[in-house]
Amino acid sequence: MTGDHSTGAPQYQVAAVRRALAEDERTAEQGIKVTVRGDTILLSGDVECARRRDEIAEVVHEVVPAMRIYNDIKVTEAGEPTGREEFR
Amino acid sequence: MIRIAAIGDVHLSKDTGGRFRPALRTLDEHADALLLAGDLTRHGTVEEAKVVAAEFGSLSVPVVAVLGNHDYHSNRSAEVTEVLADAGISVLEGQSAIVPVDGRKVGIAGVKGFGGGFAGKCASAFGEPEIKAFVEHTEVAAAKLRGALEAMDCDVRIALTHYSPVSDTLRGEPPEIYPFLGCYQLGEAIDSCDTALAIHGHAHYGTEQGFTPGGVRVRNVAHPIIRAAYAIYCIE
Ligand SMILES: [Fe+2]
Ligand SMILES: [Fe+2]
Repeated sequence: MTGDHSTGAPQYQVAAVRRALAEDERTAEQGIKVTVRGDTILLSGDVECARRRDEIAEVVHEVVPAMRIYNDIKVTEAGEPTGREEFR
Repeated sequence: MIRIAAIGDVHLSKDTGGRFRPALRTLDEHADALLLAGDLTRHGTVEEAKVVAAEFGSLSVPVVAVLGNHDYHSNRSAEVTEVLADAGISVLEGQSAIVPVDGRKVGIAGVKGFGGGFAGKCASAFGEPEIKAFVEHTEVAAAKLRGALEAMDCDVRIALTHYSPVSDTLRGEPPEIYPFLGCYQLGEAIDSCDTALAIHGHAHYGTEQGFTPGGVRVRNVAHPIIRAAYAIYCIE
C-alpha cells in the first residue's frame, strides 16, 4: 500500500486510497467515498469528529501527494432524536 | 407500547468519548431499552472499549449490544466484551437478553453475523479452504442467531446483528460489496422464529428501512444513517 499513486488509472488510485483509509491504523475508515476527476480527488461521507476528517485527508495526501484534495466529509450529529417510528 | 432505542457504528475512541452522553441523559423518557448494533469502537482495543463503557454504561434503561467487525480488529473481542459487561452492558454473541416492559417480556437475540451475500448472489462453501472458512463463519453465525431466537421464552422477539440480514437496507451501497455487508442466512433465521423486528448496522451508506422475505421489519441503525444519538421504534 506504500508508494505514490498520484499518477495512473483513476480506478487504481481510488482502490489505493480506499484500502489505505481502511488499513491505516490512523484512519481505520471503511465508509469514505472516494472519487477521482483528473488531478482532483473528492472525499465524502460521514465521520465521528473533525479530527478524523483531517486525519483522513493526511493519509490520502500521503497516497496521492500530487493530487488536489476536496475534503467534503461531514461530522455526524449525535443529538436527541426528533421523532420516532410507531409500528402498527 | 414497547419503545426500543437503537444505534450502531458509533466507532468510539478517546477522541470522540462523551459525544453521545448528553443526548442519553433523557433516554428513559423516550425508550425502555437501548440496543447497540456493533462497531462500537474504532480498532477494537480495550482502551476504546472503556470509552464505550463510559458512554453507554449506567444508563437509565437496560443496554444490550452485539460487537461489529471493528470490535474484532485487535483480536481482543473477549476483553472488549468483559469491559462492556462490567459496565452493565449485555453483549450477545449467540445469546439473548430479556427486558420486561409493562408486564410483557421483550426478548433480544444477538449475534455479530457475517457477510456472504444474498439469495442467488452469494458465496458457496466450495473449492479452496479460504472460501469454505468464510461461508462456514456465515453459517455458524446464522445458526447461533436461530438458536438464540428459538430458545427465548418471551412475548416479543427482536433480532440484533451487526451485519445485515437483508439487501433492502443496503440500498445506497455499491451492489458489488453487498456480500461483505450481510447474508441471507441471518434473514432466514429471523423468518423462522416469529420475530417482531430486526436491527442491524454496518452499512453506513445503506437505508434505514427494509423487510425480510418473510415480512419482518428490518432497520439499519448505522449512525451515519440515523444522524442522531439513537433511533426509536415503538412496538404495539
Ligand atoms: Fe461501521
Ligand atoms: Fe462494520
